[in-house]
Amino acid sequence: MKTSGFRIFFMTGAWMVLAFLLLPILVVIPVSLTDTSYIGLPKESLSLQHYVAYFQDPRWLSATWTSIWIGLVVAVCATALGTAFAIGCWFLSNRASTIARWILITPILVPPVVQSLGFYRFWVTLGLIDTHVGVILAHTLLALPYVSISVFAALANLDPRIPQAARSLGASVWQTVRSVVLPAAMPGMVTGGIFAFIVSFDEIVGVLFITVRNVSTLPKKIWEGIQENIDPTIASVATMLVLLTLVATAVVIWRGREGAK
Amino acid sequence: MFRMSDALRYWFLVLPALAIMIVFYIWPLLGIWQISLTEPKPGVANYTEMFDSTAVQTSFILTFRIAILTTIGCLILGYIVAYVISNFARRAKPLMVALVLLPFWVSVLIRSFSWIVLLGRSGIVNDTLMATGITDSPMRLMHNEFGVVIAMIHVMLPFAVLPMMANMRGISGAYVDAARGLGAGEWTAFRQVYFPQTMPGVMSGALLVFVLSLGFYITPALLGGGRVLMISEYITYQIQEFLNWGLGSALSVALLVATAVVIAIAARFVNLRSALLERN
Amino acid sequence: MTIFKDTTDHQAKADLIEIAAHKYKEGTLTRRGFLSAMAALGALPMLGSKAMAQAKEIVVVNWGGEASEVLQEVMADTYTKETGIPVVVDGSGPSGGKIRAMVESGAVVWDLCDSGMGTAIILQEQGVIQPINYDIVDRSAVLEQAAYEYAVGNYVYSYVLCSNPKLLGGNAPQTWEDVWNVKDFPGMRTFRKSVRGMLESATMAQGVPMNEVYDVLRTEDGINAGIDKFRQLRENIIVWGSGSASQNLFLQEEVAIGNIWSTRGQLLMEQMDEGAFQMSFDGGVIAPGMWVVPKDNPAGSDEVMKFIRHAQDPQLQVEWLKKIGSGPANPAAAELVPEELKKWNPSSPENLALQIFYDDEWYGMHQVEAEEKYIDALIN
Repeated sequence: MKTSGFRIFFMTGAWMVLAFLLLPILVVIPVSLTDTSYIGLPKESLSLQHYVAYFQDPRWLSATWTSIWIGLVVAVCATALGTAFAIGCWFLSNRASTIARWILITPILVPPVVQSLGFYRFWVTLGLIDTHVGVILAHTLLALPYVSISVFAALANLDPRIPQAARSLGASVWQTVRSVVLPAAMPGMVTGGIFAFIVSFDEIVGVLFITVRNVSTLPKKIWEGIQENIDPTIASVATMLVLLTLVATAVVIWRGREGAK
Repeated sequence: MFRMSDALRYWFLVLPALAIMIVFYIWPLLGIWQISLTEPKPGVANYTEMFDSTAVQTSFILTFRIAILTTIGCLILGYIVAYVISNFARRAKPLMVALVLLPFWVSVLIRSFSWIVLLGRSGIVNDTLMATGITDSPMRLMHNEFGVVIAMIHVMLPFAVLPMMANMRGISGAYVDAARGLGAGEWTAFRQVYFPQTMPGVMSGALLVFVLSLGFYITPALLGGGRVLMISEYITYQIQEFLNWGLGSALSVALLVATAVVIAIAARFVNLRSALLERN
Repeated sequence: MTIFKDTTDHQAKADLIEIAAHKYKEGTLTRRGFLSAMAALGALPMLGSKAMAQAKEIVVVNWGGEASEVLQEVMADTYTKETGIPVVVDGSGPSGGKIRAMVESGAVVWDLCDSGMGTAIILQEQGVIQPINYDIVDRSAVLEQAAYEYAVGNYVYSYVLCSNPKLLGGNAPQTWEDVWNVKDFPGMRTFRKSVRGMLESATMAQGVPMNEVYDVLRTEDGINAGIDKFRQLRENIIVWGSGSASQNLFLQEEVAIGNIWSTRGQLLMEQMDEGAFQMSFDGGVIAPGMWVVPKDNPAGSDEVMKFIRHAQDPQLQVEWLKKIGSGPANPAAAELVPEELKKWNPSSPENLALQIFYDDEWYGMHQVEAEEKYIDALIN
């Protein structure tokens, strides 16, 4: 196809939009290397002082660690519950199970502030305010929709007649689930688990409502840092997270290419 | 008998997740409704206060305006990207898809922080503009609706691109080719043949972006300078500043109802099942 | 009909905590003290039984974090040293609701609470706090506006006019009228995300004399006129929601002028370049934090009153000022303030003469209505 005005318009437009998506995220990198004590571009030389500040501050480190382990626990809980849920619904495939699936995705649609209000009041009566268990429970609920959606999507590729055949050959429900359905659900479980971890790792509004000072997660530290904003340590944290994401994305692209060969 | 017990076993798989969702999520959500009718004392006082308040009305109008602007921005920019990925991109396709998805993995907080760094009075954009002599004094890019909308488009764009890409994947090139064969120009063929076929994708993208924008909190709170007071921020303001749980809950109920109404209206134009329940 | 609402400024209190945290980071507060405060916080659930077991212990409650540490170090430990009576500072936030619930349940574990005038009035009406015993507490050792029957002032802070002359070409606004003069003083202003201390300045900007501000604001027209001032200025306003946010707006040069807390102004004075920051108490609004004593407190009325008397010590209040910038409630402390800090003491006689006293009664009657109009003026 020869290059036409139409094509040039769309191609340039698309790359410009992609630049708009990417560049603002990258801006934290130079800022994190600034030699000044305030937020800005490096003045005279590059400096790692704000990374040092991060690694020397027990509060940043413990917040990071808290976010990681809470994220892992949430990923496990949400994947287990969500997978069981999606498999059950897939077998049932009736009106009731569709309603159940709608109920499970409500957290995606409800505004974060509204649901956090609900959490707060209920967590007060349960005594879960400012506890790790309270955060894990809230995050698990928020992560469930993503797990159930991705597991269900993975099961769309499984022919319902296969488990039926297994059943008619005498396998029990649990045997069928374990040896036929679970392997088919696996890709969805992995995606869902990663989603669940990210949902928990990035969640901020709920944490702001249901924690006080015992529990501090990384997003909460960043939020407080932006409000206070006095030093660029937060830019170094952001850079590390962005680089981690970039590396992960690059690996996925690369593996996709390899797989395509 | 045999079938019945099977169904029961499947329900055992469904129940744990469903039960904790209902007990710990849906139930507290309904509790908000109750708070709005009982605090500080029983009755509908919070609702009359809310409907009488011009500030609340203004905030609702502002919330819808920003959600609409964000949605329009996301649709235009997102369409271009989705179109190119689906029709033109060859080798660059995985890279382009990855770039669309990338912001998904970087937290909203960090992206808002980036925009603060960029748009501030002594931020990078202003510094550059002044250093290159384009302006002599800093422009106001942040602490207003402009800054909020730009940053929100950035946050929401992937939600618009993905459904449109999914939709375009299913569109056969044959119709456009046929139109071209019959002598239509590239633009005409696009406008009259291709574009109408993509409407379902556009509508589901619009729905997602709009609904998520309505309830958005982080970005407006950080970039709005307090004057771009969307409903979510108004709710936290009532509760944190005045411990006014009654009005805060009434506002939450109103926001929830507004969201539900938007979804109900959208149901006429969008296949909700594929837009929400079965998206990847 | 107006219902009297709880107008206590919880945020102003929480802000002191943050300032203390900042000081800690800078090394002004000791690490040992910081940790001991944390330990005290962690031990909170045990406080109840402990307080019951040792009747001679006094539990003082404020708004938590590192500000508790300052209170512990400056007021509590010195009292223990003097009398041998242990004083424990608990930072769990004595909101009106909690105090009431505690008294009504009969299990009172708090002896003394850092509260506000609005809450104190409500608690007094509900009959859950004790009158201050002015035979023990020295009425003359507290600003007369902060000596009430059921509550007594413990520290003060002000809403003041701050500006960055560097951004204004060396020309700094001197009065609130100047703040509203966008022609001669271009640039962004910052006001609080609440009418507290703000509506007063807008009223003075109309030329109303200081001592008539609240009289004018008691009329519907007065409130509307003040709100209109904000409506006129709103394109030039960025709103601050927390003390650190206001400080940050000045640091990042986002604003040239603002009405912010004097405690934050004092920090900015240290942080900003010479000539880039000015703070003036002229036309400021001074607000007190108040001690209240729950009914049937475990340590007994007299013991607590003695502690309040101890905390009135001007020397200690000066220490408090040095540590987190909140001003002494005891007028006698003014003379003891070191020369370099005098100018920044909200309650020095010179500064007091320039300011008006925050009128809690007005807030109880009109705040809700005014807030709503204020928000509307800013966003509409």
